[in-house]
Amino acid sequence: MAAPAIEFCNLTKTYQRRFAGVRVPALSEISFQVARGEVCAFLGPNGAGKTTSMSILMGFICADRGRSRVLGYAPGDVRAKERIGFLPENFAFYRHLDAEKLLQFHLRLSGRQVANPNALISGLLAKVKLDGFKGLRIGKYSRGMVQRLGIAQALLGNPELLVLDEPTSGLDPAGRKEVRDLILALKAEGKTVFLSSHILSEAEQICDRVIIINRGRLVRTGGMQEMLAESNRVEIVVDQLPDGLEQTVKELGASVDREANRVRIAADAVNKRTLAEMLWAGGCNVLSLTPMKNSLEEMFLKLVGGGGTE
Amino acid sequence: MKVRTIARSTFGSFLHNKVIFMLCLIFVCNFLIGLYSVLKFKSMTTASNAQQMQSLMLDDVGRVMWLLSGLGSLLAAWAAADSVAGEMKSGTILAVMARPLRRWQFLTGKYLGVLMLMSFYVFGMLGVMFLLTWLGGQPFHTPWWVLLVYPLERYAIWAAISMFLVTLLNPVVVMGIVAVLLSLIRFLEAASALSDIPGWVRLPMHTVLPLTGVVLGEDRFLTMTQAALKRYPWTDHVTALAYGLDYALVCFLLAIAMFQYRSLSRD
Repeated sequence: MAAPAIEFCNLTKTYQRRFAGVRVPALSEISFQVARGEVCAFLGPNGAGKTTSMSILMGFICADRGRSRVLGYAPGDVRAKERIGFLPENFAFYRHLDAEKLLQFHLRLSGRQVANPNALISGLLAKVKLDGFKGLRIGKYSRGMVQRLGIAQALLGNPELLVLDEPTSGLDPAGRKEVRDLILALKAEGKTVFLSSHILSEAEQICDRVIIINRGRLVRTGGMQEMLAESNRVEIVVDQLPDGLEQTVKELGASVDREANRVRIAADAVNKRTLAEMLWAGGCNVLSLTPMKNSLEEMFLKLVGGGGTE
Repeated sequence: MKVRTIARSTFGSFLHNKVIFMLCLIFVCNFLIGLYSVLKFKSMTTASNAQQMQSLMLDDVGRVMWLLSGLGSLLAAWAAADSVAGEMKSGTILAVMARPLRRWQFLTGKYLGVLMLMSFYVFGMLGVMFLLTWLGGQPFHTPWWVLLVYPLERYAIWAAISMFLVTLLNPVVVMGIVAVLLSLIRFLEAASALSDIPGWVRLPMHTVLPLTGVVLGEDRFLTMTQAALKRYPWTDHVTALAYGLDYALVCFLLAIAMFQYRSLSRD
C-alpha cells in the first residue's frame, strides 16, 4: 500500500524569541494523515498553526519533535518536492519579471523536461485566465492576478500533491469558482490537494476530508460527509400546521418556518418520534422527516469556540 | 543548471534594484571627480613640472580608485546580504524553495549572482583606471589580470562574510558589522598601527579578519608599474590568491551550514 500523501505524527513546534526568552507554542503533538487522491481542508482560526504546519510540510522550518512525511519522504527532500506544487499564503514574486518569464524560471527550477515549454506555459496562463497579460510586468498585477499566477506556478511541475495556502484569497467570485472547478478537476485526475481556506462554504463543496486545529492542537479530523452528517437535529416537513399545534411544537424546542405550501419544523432528534406522532394526530400530513446536516461553518464555530476563521 | 538559474535570476534582480542604481551613480560621480583631477593636472603640466604633475595626478587617481575599491567592498557585502534577506523578507523564497532545490544550491546560486555583479563592477573599475591613465598620458604597465583577479577575490571574501552573517542576523546589522570590519582593517593595515598592537591581539586578528591589504598583498600588486610587479614571483600570487579563496570558501561554507537549518518563513 502506498504511503499517505501527508503524515504528521506527534509534531510539536515552539517558536523561541532570541534574547527575549519568550517561548510561543505553535504546534502541540499534532497527528494526522492525508491519503493520496484526497482533497483535504486544513482549517483553524488565526494563529492556530496552519501556516506553521504547512511550512514544516514544505521543509521551510523544522519541527522540535515528532515525525512528518510527505509522499513518503522527509519534508524538504527534493524527491518529494519534485512531486509537490505549492502556493504560499500571499504569494510573492519577482516584480520585474512578467508572467511568462517567472514561469520559465520556475520550470527550470522544477527540473521538469518538456518538449515545448512555451506551449506548457501558455496553456497554464490560459488556464488561470492570464494569457492576455503575458508581457505585463508582475509588479503591475492586481492582487487577484498575482494569486492566479501563483496557482499557475503551483501547477507547473505536474505535481502529484498540491499544497495550497488560501488559494482563493484575493479572487473575485468568478475566480473563486474557477479555482474550485480546477481543484475538482485535479481531484478527478487523482491528485492530492491539501488546502487551507477561510471560506468554509468552499471547503465544504470541494473537500473530502477536514482537519481542524486550534491553538496548535488538533481539534477534529474526519471525512467531510461524516462530519457534516453528525447532527442531532431533524427537519420535519408538513403540508400545514394549525396555530394551536404550533405552540405545542415550539414548547418542545422546535423552530417553525412557514413557506407557501409547506411548513418546515426543525427539532432535536430526541423529540422526532413524539413530534411526528403529534403532527399526524393533529391532522398534519408529514411529507418528510430527514436528519439535518451541519454546515461546516457551524461545526467549525462550535469546535473552535467562535474564534472566527483566518 | 538550477544553480545557474538562481544566479541569473539574482543578477537580473540586481539590475532592477534602486540601491544598485544609486551605487552606480556614486561610481560615476567618483569617475567624474577623477576625470576632473586628471584634466586639471594635464592642463597645468609644463616641461619643467611634468614629473611633479605626474606624481600628483597618480595620487589623485589612486585616491579615486581607493574609493571605488572600498565602494565595491560595501556593494559586495550589501548585494550578498540583500540577495538572501530580501527574498526572505518578501516571501519569494517560499515559492523558490518549494521547488526541488537544495538549500546549498540556492545559496550557491545567490553567491554566484553576486560575483557576476561584482565582475561587472571590477571591469568597470578597470575601465575607469585605463581611461584615467590614458587621458592623463601615463603609460599603464600593470597586467590586466592582476587588476581583475585581486579585487574580485576581495569582493568574493566580503560577499561570503556578509552571506554568512545574514544567515544569523538582520541585514542592517550585517552592514554595520561589515562597515566596522572595513574600518578596522583599514586601521590595522597601516604599518604603524600594526606595530603598536601587541602580538597576542595582532595574531588572532590576522587569522580572523580578511586583511586583504596586508596578507594578500593586494596593494603590492596594484602598483602602477611593471617593475614593481616583477619583484614578486608567481608563487607569491598563487599564495596570496589561495589565501583569499580559502577565506571566502570557509565563510561561504559556514553560510551554507547556518542556512541549512534556518527558518525560511517571513517572521
